[in-house]
Amino acid sequence: MEKISIEICTGTTCYVMGASDLLTLEEHLRPPLSSSVKISGSTCLGICRDKRFKPPFVRVAGKLIAQASVRKVLKAVEAEYSGGSYAYDE
Amino acid sequence: MNGFIEVDYAQNWKHSERIAGDVFLLSRDKTEGRIVCTLSDGLGSGVKANVLANLTATMGQKFTTSRMDIVDSARVIMKTLPTCRERKISYSTFTMVDINSSGVAKIVEYDNPPYMLIRNGKVLKIEKTVIPLENRFPGRTEQLYYSEVNLQNEDRLIFFSDGVSQSGMGTAKLPLGWRTPFIEEFVTAEINKDRNISARDLSRKITSRALLNDIQKAKDDITCAVVYPRKPRKLLLVSGPPIDPENDQHLLEKYEAFTGKKIICGGTTAGIIAEGLNTEIETDLRERTADIPPLSRMEGADLVTEGILTLSKTAEMLETKDSWVAMQTNAVRRLICMLMNTDEVHFLVGTKINEAHQDPSIPVELGLRRTIIHRIKTILESKYLKQTFLEYI
Repeated sequence: MEKISIEICTGTTCYVMGASDLLTLEEHLRPPLSSSVKISGSTCLGICRDKRFKPPFVRVAGKLIAQASVRKVLKAVEAEYSGGSYAYDE
Repeated sequence: MNGFIEVDYAQNWKHSERIAGDVFLLSRDKTEGRIVCTLSDGLGSGVKANVLANLTATMGQKFTTSRMDIVDSARVIMKTLPTCRERKISYSTFTMVDINSSGVAKIVEYDNPPYMLIRNGKVLKIEKTVIPLENRFPGRTEQLYYSEVNLQNEDRLIFFSDGVSQSGMGTAKLPLGWRTPFIEEFVTAEINKDRNISARDLSRKITSRALLNDIQKAKDDITCAVVYPRKPRKLLLVSGPPIDPENDQHLLEKYEAFTGKKIICGGTTAGIIAEGLNTEIETDLRERTADIPPLSRMEGADLVTEGILTLSKTAEMLETKDSWVAMQTNAVRRLICMLMNTDEVHFLVGTKINEAHQDPSIPVELGLRRTIIHRIKTILESKYLKQTFLEYI
């Protein structure tokens, strides 16, 4: 199975709005999820210019989560893993 | 000689003291390309020695930079300095070095250990003129040593306080201290080991060795300064997107054409460059702390970091000399280490304001890029004597 990609924005705005906490995500993942994801950082996802969304931003399997938190991302990953649905921002 | 002259010093205080009794002052006249530095050792240690050394070094520095003849300056200092009534010696000693833009160094020494000049890995013998001073103490002649040296690229001019040359005195290994031949042997070995060793690193090696000679408890203040003329090491720091996107191309051209180390501070900026060069950015999530975002890698760039937070922290750390040494490895520390090993820093700064930073809900204060860069530039110039160039786009 292809790994679920999690892209965390580490740009200035996202970092001060909580991305520094999001980078601890790996510690919150338990099997089987921990081995099914690929976490990476991004210098800036470029979404902060869009007034509709609030930082920090994470993309799970390419889909956007605004005002992301570890809880939100975990829920999205669980949904992706089990084939369920998650209300992404875009 | 043409190029850049790196000057740096290292110091260990006498064990149990909380202040140095040796003072090193340095100034660089940008327009003339002239460097003046003074090392003074005050009698004794602690506050009293510090005041005396400061007095001497400040006078030397002021007189010499104000175009007074270096020997005359030394004479005035000698006349001004108080003397110790019991020991009949001056309250402080000094070495003054005045280097002009073509690399001619005029050096006056009074009672400090003789300086060393290393060229091509060997010690160079220097002819010195002895200038006798007015007889202040019956039965004792005092003299200044004056010499002129034509500095060449890759030379090392090294001078130090007697805390270095007397280190280890009384120990079985160095009963008479770390005398000149031993220091020369150590220094030439270090230079031959690493031909490009910076003034900063070499001065630290010498003081650490002196401290080791004293079995980690310095018996006197240990200070060593090194002057190192060389071809300038250049670094380009790009930060911020151009105010007009049409200038992105200009930014790219400048970035590509630069020869030297390249640092990009800012996600958007890195994005513009990566896109223009058709390359990928990879963020390395390992090195990060709560207040400093992780660094990234990109082909062709020596360092890629986040912008404002990293730069603000860098400015803060640079304000205190050596404060970053104990810092864990992260983007800021890497950035500072690269800045320290550079002579010329070129800032290329985009002035576009990131509107997302203006959001009042952001919990920390995000400074303006221009202000922070300006602060770093000023510190690098005044505190670390780097040459800096700033261009806004």
